[in-house]
Amino acid sequence: MKSPRRYTVLAATAVAAALALTACSSNGKGSGDATSSAPAGDQKVTITVAGLLPTADDAAKKQLADRVASFQAKYPNITVKPEDYNWLASTFTAQLAGGTLPNVFEIPLTDGKTLIENHQLADIDKYVKALPYGDQFNEKLIANGTGDDGHIYAVPAKSIYAVALHYNRNLFKDAGLDPDKPPTTWDEVRADAKQIHDKTGKAGYATMALDNSGGWQLAAGANSRGGVIEKFDGTKYTATLDDPAVKEHLQWLHDLKWEDKSLLDRTDLGWGEINTEFAAGNLAMYTSGSDVYNALVQANGVTKDWGYGLTAIPTSNGGGALTGGTMAAVTKDSTDAQKDAAVKWIDWWYLAKLQDKDQAIADAKGLAEQNPPQAVGTPVLPIFSKENYQQSQEWIKDYINVPLDDMKGYTDVMFTQNLVPEASASVQDLYAQLFPVVQAVISDKNADIDKLLKDANAAGQSAIDSAK
Amino acid sequence: MTTTDTRTPLAAPAAVVAGAATGRRRRASYVEPDRGALSTADWRRPAVRHTWRTMHVLLLVLLLVWCLGPLLLLAKFAFTPTADIQSTPLEFFPNGATTQNIEMAWTRYHIGQFFMNTVWVALGSWACQVLVATTGGYVLSVLRPRWAKLLNAAILTTLFVPAVVLLVPLYRIIVHPPVGGSLINNFFAVWLPAGASAFNVVLVARFFSSLPHEIFEAARMDGAGPFRLFWSIVLPMSRPILGVVSVFAVIASWKDFLWPFLVLKDQSVMPLSVYLQQMANVDKGTLMAALAISTLIPIAMFLIFQRMFLRGAGLGGAVKG
Amino acid sequence: MTTDDVVLTKFPTGTGKDRPKPRRTPATWVRRGGLTALLFGLPALLIFGIFSWWPIVSAVVMSFQKTNLTDPAVWVGLDNFKEIFSDPLLPTVIRNTAWFALLALIFGYPVPLIGAVLMSELRRRKGFYSALAYLPVVVPPVVAVLLWKFFYDPRPEGVFNTVLGWVGLGPYSWLNDPHMAMPSLVLEATWAAAGGTVIIYLAALTAVPAELYDAAEVDGASVLRKVWHVTMPALRSILLITLILQIIGTAQVFLEPFLFTNGGPNHATLTVMLWVYQLAFTSIGNRYGEATALSLLLAVFLAVLSLVYFRLTRSWSTS
Repeated sequence: MKSPRRYTVLAATAVAAALALTACSSNGKGSGDATSSAPAGDQKVTITVAGLLPTADDAAKKQLADRVASFQAKYPNITVKPEDYNWLASTFTAQLAGGTLPNVFEIPLTDGKTLIENHQLADIDKYVKALPYGDQFNEKLIANGTGDDGHIYAVPAKSIYAVALHYNRNLFKDAGLDPDKPPTTWDEVRADAKQIHDKTGKAGYATMALDNSGGWQLAAGANSRGGVIEKFDGTKYTATLDDPAVKEHLQWLHDLKWEDKSLLDRTDLGWGEINTEFAAGNLAMYTSGSDVYNALVQANGVTKDWGYGLTAIPTSNGGGALTGGTMAAVTKDSTDAQKDAAVKWIDWWYLAKLQDKDQAIADAKGLAEQNPPQAVGTPVLPIFSKENYQQSQEWIKDYINVPLDDMKGYTDVMFTQNLVPEASASVQDLYAQLFPVVQAVISDKNADIDKLLKDANAAGQSAIDSAK
Repeated sequence: MTTTDTRTPLAAPAAVVAGAATGRRRRASYVEPDRGALSTADWRRPAVRHTWRTMHVLLLVLLLVWCLGPLLLLAKFAFTPTADIQSTPLEFFPNGATTQNIEMAWTRYHIGQFFMNTVWVALGSWACQVLVATTGGYVLSVLRPRWAKLLNAAILTTLFVPAVVLLVPLYRIIVHPPVGGSLINNFFAVWLPAGASAFNVVLVARFFSSLPHEIFEAARMDGAGPFRLFWSIVLPMSRPILGVVSVFAVIASWKDFLWPFLVLKDQSVMPLSVYLQQMANVDKGTLMAALAISTLIPIAMFLIFQRMFLRGAGLGGAVKG
Repeated sequence: MTTDDVVLTKFPTGTGKDRPKPRRTPATWVRRGGLTALLFGLPALLIFGIFSWWPIVSAVVMSFQKTNLTDPAVWVGLDNFKEIFSDPLLPTVIRNTAWFALLALIFGYPVPLIGAVLMSELRRRKGFYSALAYLPVVVPPVVAVLLWKFFYDPRPEGVFNTVLGWVGLGPYSWLNDPHMAMPSLVLEATWAAAGGTVIIYLAALTAVPAELYDAAEVDGASVLRKVWHVTMPALRSILLITLILQIIGTAQVFLEPFLFTNGGPNHATLTVMLWVYQLAFTSIGNRYGEATALSLLLAVFLAVLSLVYFRLTRSWSTS
């Protein structure tokens, strides 16, 4: 799950995208042109699209408005109305059921399969395939948006990440550790966390525990230790929340908290909260998506010389880094004309800048010239091919303003490390079962991990079964 | 409907409702009592006087620390740099004060805009409640058609159904209203359900019943129809009770969170309470400034309309659990 | 005065004069003010009909259905109730809600009473005292919770931990400790609500007839005896009423657990109402039916309490 990151990233993208537009509309060779193969014609159509968070800043709001305006100038028959959007596990269901989602909305990569099976997404296959790059999506990613019928219902749109370890270089220095040698095993993480806590008094490590994000990060920990939280034998999904690797990670957290006292004493940190605490210097290390730096810059005022460090998540027993990302999808009740317009918008807003040099440069320039500058060049996993990604990074290299040298621990291995996809059946329900266990372990010294996991697993399995 | 305020309707002790008609007696009663348990003679005895004085001073200190303290702290935070809020929250401006938090809250996060949304929510809810309560009360107590008895019973019954039951079905109605499209992100999604307050109707109906009927009779003799009677006689005479209903309406919509959280999601309609919850993760200093600004206006209103607030509180019973 | 008075009060209607015609036709109905009455009744009928009566009926209906709000609902009989009763969380949420209610009584019941008794003896500045006591009630609840959440910062630098540190206590984990989380919630809730209770008591106290004190003094009663034998009995009914009101209110507590902890750590603060919300609006499995079933169960419990309450206010008001 990757809920709240969306807004910050989105805001940043908005800024960039708007600038991209200038380039695109002036020279008229945005890739959007090529998509006008669909039947829309001059038929008037209005679509609502996922916009920004209500807390997004004015620059982002204005850029989105500009971007919409130029889209409408390009497609005079389409009217686009952005709506405030914030994907949260806690409200998405109500919006989906209530039919209050915008025509174009965003979902976590991992929920794609479930939503398609529940017939809750529109079939946008022919519109996507008509895009010039419609057949070039990374196969593993587009699989999440493809139904059993082989049709595309959702496309990977942004923020494709692998979970990585983020650390505060200054706290490493203060504790007498070498910030250029971040830990590479969980034992080293523990030792460094203890040293940081003992030397500086700050928490050495912290984990998300609030709501489904707590389950998400526990799953990431388990994946890195060679475990999974769900198995699929070709016909049936089985919850494996009691996998030894899950227990191993919980026990590790338990020891940090109760033996070393190096774990931040918070059970109420979600994705946004832990970023806030990290940026405030209250903790030295935590795991989250590899692109969190964007949000730290956008929402928490982190700058290039702040002392941010990024390295790969430690792995053992053949484990790997949990991956995820954001897909764009279209509501089921959209008309054909709306679907066509929606895919044009998805191209315009999310994807064109990855395919077109001018748009890529304008995007990067726009971000870098913001006041304060927004992050350009934060490592993410490619939506298309590795070559396409490296090409687009090459295009924008003059504008890259993130501390790449301090991200080497991750970037050196990002294409070679073992990647683990998220579970795909009822994954939010599994996360919902796991986070109370994380909370229990870090708030109760005598928590019975085996029993907690056994109960959670039973409940998780029944969630999987009842979803079918 | 305000999902969290079942207490409001339920908190309408019938006697107090009756008492509302004679509001003056109540107001007088807690501003200037005739006497308490202590007689003037008691007060002259030094032992009694000193004991009670001491207790009163202690009470004052307690009230200042317990009730005012957190708010003063909040006011201080609003002007304290974030780093100091985090590291030394209780020291008095160790590194000087700043207005940056306030500026951020006002210009970057547009607290004012969401404040205005709250005002709209409150105004519309108020109007809807007053309309339903006065017309309904008029039917029940003055016009009294045959079906008034039934209506009265049906309205009273809702007093016994806690708001929690309504949460899901009401959400469904807002999403699929009997006429028109979804009311999500529409002020009417909050305004209309707010009108269904049995407490208000009962309160107003009682008040109308207590008005001197001879006046209505005289008006009719003079040829006033039911509309005239309502507009020119009944309403003007109902100012005290309308004041009470208004205070309840405004307080309730100011406090309501869950229902607007579910139905007012877009920033163009989102009230302050919902927005603040969304701001929970922004910079601490900014958050504190936003909280302080949000508190300032209700407190100012309270200080201005203090008597009405306190009368309303005494009237409505425990509005808060 | 009782509810029935509204209906029973004899009051001549506008058509009282020309009553000889017993036959009822639409024309006579209109002439006799039937239409006017209907017009005036319309706002109440519509608003209550759509936003109160109909949802109540459909809540009962929905509790026997599975629905995702868009597709047609399916009748499932008592399945929703069965699932609620077999859910391992049910005992937890009931226990938590009861615990919240009990703590709220312990924290929030005696203190306002003592405060009100003290304040009622003030000869001057009573308005100032009551305004001060009432101040937190005016603070928007979301503001209060977010502010207190910061106070509960578990770091030694946290506000409460700093204060307790002065006397050598702590640091405590507050909301992050399953045992402390609920009391922490209740402490804030009490802060936000106690002022209202004080004002109610104060209103009741000043309604105590002075003659009762005079009579007690004639009998030579001391101050304490007067408080105990005159003041307290006079407050008996209002004490009972606030007790029931408070239970009704706390049984539906939502805001504090939702904003402070969202039910954590490890379900330690998951209350019935928060669970209803989570079932309905956050679970992928569309558990609207179960949510309504659970809310109906809570409603029955509360309706019984309200009936008791209503009888009490009636007897109180007629006495």
